[in-house]
Amino acid sequence: MRYAGSIVTAVLAVMLAVLALSSAHAFDESRYDDLAGQWRLGPPAKWDPSKPPGRGQQPPLTPEYQAIFEASLADQAAGGQGNDPTYTCISDGMPRAMNVVFPIEIVVLPKITYIMFEYQGMLRRIYTDGRDWPKDEDASFMGYSIGRWIDETGSGRYSVLEIETRNMKGPRAFEPSGIPLHSDNQTVVHERMYLDKANPDILHDEITTIDHALTRPWTVNKSYQRERNPIWIEAVCNEANPHLRIGKENYMLSADGYLMPAKKNQQPPDLRYFRQSAK
Amino acid sequence: MRLPSVTVLAAATLVGSASAALAHHSFAMFDQENSIELDGIVQEFKYTNPHSYLLLEVRGDDGSAVVWNLEGQAPSILSRDGWSKESLRPGDHVLVTIDPLRSGAPGGSWNLRRIKFKDGRPVVVTP
Repeated sequence: MRYAGSIVTAVLAVMLAVLALSSAHAFDESRYDDLAGQWRLGPPAKWDPSKPPGRGQQPPLTPEYQAIFEASLADQAAGGQGNDPTYTCISDGMPRAMNVVFPIEIVVLPKITYIMFEYQGMLRRIYTDGRDWPKDEDASFMGYSIGRWIDETGSGRYSVLEIETRNMKGPRAFEPSGIPLHSDNQTVVHERMYLDKANPDILHDEITTIDHALTRPWTVNKSYQRERNPIWIEAVCNEANPHLRIGKENYMLSADGYLMPAKKNQQPPDLRYFRQSAK
Repeated sequence: MRLPSVTVLAAATLVGSASAALAHHSFAMFDQENSIELDGIVQEFKYTNPHSYLLLEVRGDDGSAVVWNLEGQAPSILSRDGWSKESLRPGDHVLVTIDPLRSGAPGGSWNLRRIKFKDGRPVVVTP
């Protein structure tokens, strides 16, 4: 039976070799900074956290797009929604999604990093497998993201994720006061994401937006706080949203489901496609 | 039916930016510079994300009732302050300061810092 025993030993050796080979390809998460948990920033949804909201953001807009922004502010002062499209529950898109008004979760895998948003289940896929830009990808609100991990300190551990995002579609704005992005949707967003050196429960995202509505690249720095014991709550914007757009006007639904004016002296919507009953 | 009488708050400027601070979208339709106080009975508390809604029945001086649709903070924020879907129940009598729709229609916004039970108790006791 000594012969049979050596066969078993040989088979075990082969199995161990196969196992060792597959482990060599397994994901070694210790090579990446730990981004697990929930990351929060919360309202107010300012684009540049260091400046006041609205006009105080001082966005470097071209004259044409500054005029669009001013019109947005004027409309909002009257009760309109101006240039902010999100009240109808349309996706934030990029780069606005990184305002992180609702928390996010970041999942790092060898070839891709996912940023999952509580709000509307929005998702960013950041490809880190060395691929090139696709030729015929349909545009999307969140765009197409290619990332690169960097071992900035030479410690053998990836600590910075650089991301470039392109191919977005609109309508999009930076934040609720309606700071515009160009209607050509040629936006390019560069990000550097890394943990704070002194406090690993703070995640920094340096975001530079290049857009034809801007006179120069606009860089802001956002810092998200980690919650290690998170509560996640499904956020389905349309579940109870009372805001709606008819024609070019925004209205609100009443408690009993009827249309209410949002602006002072606002006229009812055009009912041209309804059969008018005789009174 | 005329709308119930409401109290216009002299201290409105103190809470003027409260609505803007709780939204992912513009709250410009709500007049944050002319807050009012409503005294009403909870008809329904919709604990929905990304915004909660308080449907509040308010009686006017003539006894007629109007139900206001009041947009509030997200459960993802409220829950961190100890709120749950049970924090407000139908029939609860509350006082709430709101930013009303600019149109004057019975809609508005509220937040957890500006609501209490009619007898003065806080809705949620926070540490």
